[in-house]
Amino acid sequence: MTLTEPVKVISGLTRITGHLMQIEINQLTKVYQEKRGLLPVNLEVEKGELIAVIGHNGAGKSTLLKMLASWLLPDNGQVLVDGINLRNRLAVVRKVGFVPETPNLFDFFSVEYNLKIFVRLFQVPFLRIEEIMKEFDLLPFRHNKIQVLSKGLRQRVSIGRALLADPPVLLFDEPTSGIDFEMTKEIYRMLKDFHISGKTIIFTSHRPEEIKTLATRVIVLHQGHLVFDGSPQKYFQSEIHEKLYQ
Amino acid sequence: MIRNIVTLTLNDLAIAFKNKTIYLILFIPFFVFFSMKLVDKADEDFKKIKIGLIQKEMYAPVILQTIKSADRVFTVSLASNEEEGKRWLKEKKIDGLLLISEKEQDAVVLVVLKKESMLTLSIVESFSALQRAVEGSSINWISDIKPLQEGGIQKQTLPTWILMLVLLVSFIIMPAQVAEEKEKKLLLALLQTPMREIEWLIAKLFLGMILILIAILSLHLLGKFDFGNVLSYVAFIGVGSFCFSSYGIFLGFLCRNQASARTLGVIFYLPHLLPSALSDFSQKLNAVAPFLPSYQFYEPVKSILLEEGGISNLSLEWIYLLLVGLLTFFFSYLLMKKRWLM
Repeated sequence: MTLTEPVKVISGLTRITGHLMQIEINQLTKVYQEKRGLLPVNLEVEKGELIAVIGHNGAGKSTLLKMLASWLLPDNGQVLVDGINLRNRLAVVRKVGFVPETPNLFDFFSVEYNLKIFVRLFQVPFLRIEEIMKEFDLLPFRHNKIQVLSKGLRQRVSIGRALLADPPVLLFDEPTSGIDFEMTKEIYRMLKDFHISGKTIIFTSHRPEEIKTLATRVIVLHQGHLVFDGSPQKYFQSEIHEKLYQ
Repeated sequence: MIRNIVTLTLNDLAIAFKNKTIYLILFIPFFVFFSMKLVDKADEDFKKIKIGLIQKEMYAPVILQTIKSADRVFTVSLASNEEEGKRWLKEKKIDGLLLISEKEQDAVVLVVLKKESMLTLSIVESFSALQRAVEGSSINWISDIKPLQEGGIQKQTLPTWILMLVLLVSFIIMPAQVAEEKEKKLLLALLQTPMREIEWLIAKLFLGMILILIAILSLHLLGKFDFGNVLSYVAFIGVGSFCFSSYGIFLGFLCRNQASARTLGVIFYLPHLLPSALSDFSQKLNAVAPFLPSYQFYEPVKSILLEEGGISNLSLEWIYLLLVGLLTFFFSYLLMKKRWLM
């Protein structure tokens, strides 16, 4: 098996029958003009899984996450989250929280304002702002403008915002990219806490140590194809890992 | 729905404050007002015409005497030769230079910087008046001039300034505002909330309309201009601001980033402003301009402000602007649904 040709998915997971499927992806496809993107992909995600999606640049990792977050519309296929089609955005939006690689916040405004506007739109109690700021150690920065914060702090605000409506599914696009060591450890701790609290998490990554530390399942994408789906142990033993990081 | 629209509109206004857009909205009426004040001030103060004569030139005695005696109208400067006189003209030390006519006896040639200018007209008028006073003539055919459009220069140019303000907000500010939210992925962040696409679009429309109203109101308050038929005027500004804000939002959706939105805005701004604003001066432009929504806004505003027109006579213009607004709103909605260039 080589990485240049699409291969059949190696399944290293032992599924427990009767477990609730949180996300069902059927024939999901997105092709860009440059012929990159995501070719038909099928995937099932159980509730409470912590999945690392890995692959080279342009493999389709971010495309997959962006489609799950409704940032991109698929060319074909469908995604069901808790049985609700992703095309029904208003119904799904409280179920999926997305933290993009670059935090997309209102730079001119304070941390508190950024959370406040989303609290209003989610129509959750304002008390949630205090809870989030406390949980993510943002209280000392509540009046600071986003533009003066470090990338790590911005990422914390971005994660806090994604959690305002307490969604059961969280998506992280390279959550530790461009972040210092201390903040990276902090984000690992957060992801573990979310996992313990029962949330389903999918994150993209380039870092083997991140996959080892966090993931309960690894998905490898290559040129838009799903080439591996299994446990981290199986992944690190497989030749795909070697070829991916040769 | 209303709660979300109010939240988003207030957020948009807060952004307009933070990114200094609001200062631009207030600066332009101030700039227009003070420029117009200067124009009118120059009109009110009587200004003497500075005429240059060549020292050794043999002017007809009657002309020379008349000019010198009319010291309330002319200030005479004597140049040593024609070259110096022309240099003074270029340096604007004098408004006109008189030379002996080679074709006609006892006549002069007036040398000016520009033939088609108000200053030249003023010099010729003054000379004609003096000539009539000296030689005598029959009663003028036109005893008085009554304008169809009331008001001074400030008021007469008011519809043009209003058109300029509306187009500036719609084609320069609004597309950039929309493109900025796309570029920074803020719109996508908002779309991850239970906000509907239409709510965001309505909030943006309100932002455009509010900015236009602030700009127009500031201009009226500064210049103390009356509103003509108030109801008709408010209704037309309302429908015009709806049409052009919607148009601007649509342009913003065609662009990926602020820089391209500004470029596209200027490309649309000038062809909408100039043919409409200059349609009074050119038959050809007058034939083309009615196809533009800007003309369908400009003409009624002119009619309401200067000719006591009312909305009852302007139903076609109303419908035209409303249709353009609705059509561009619908296209923006489609592009937003498709996450166009996001």
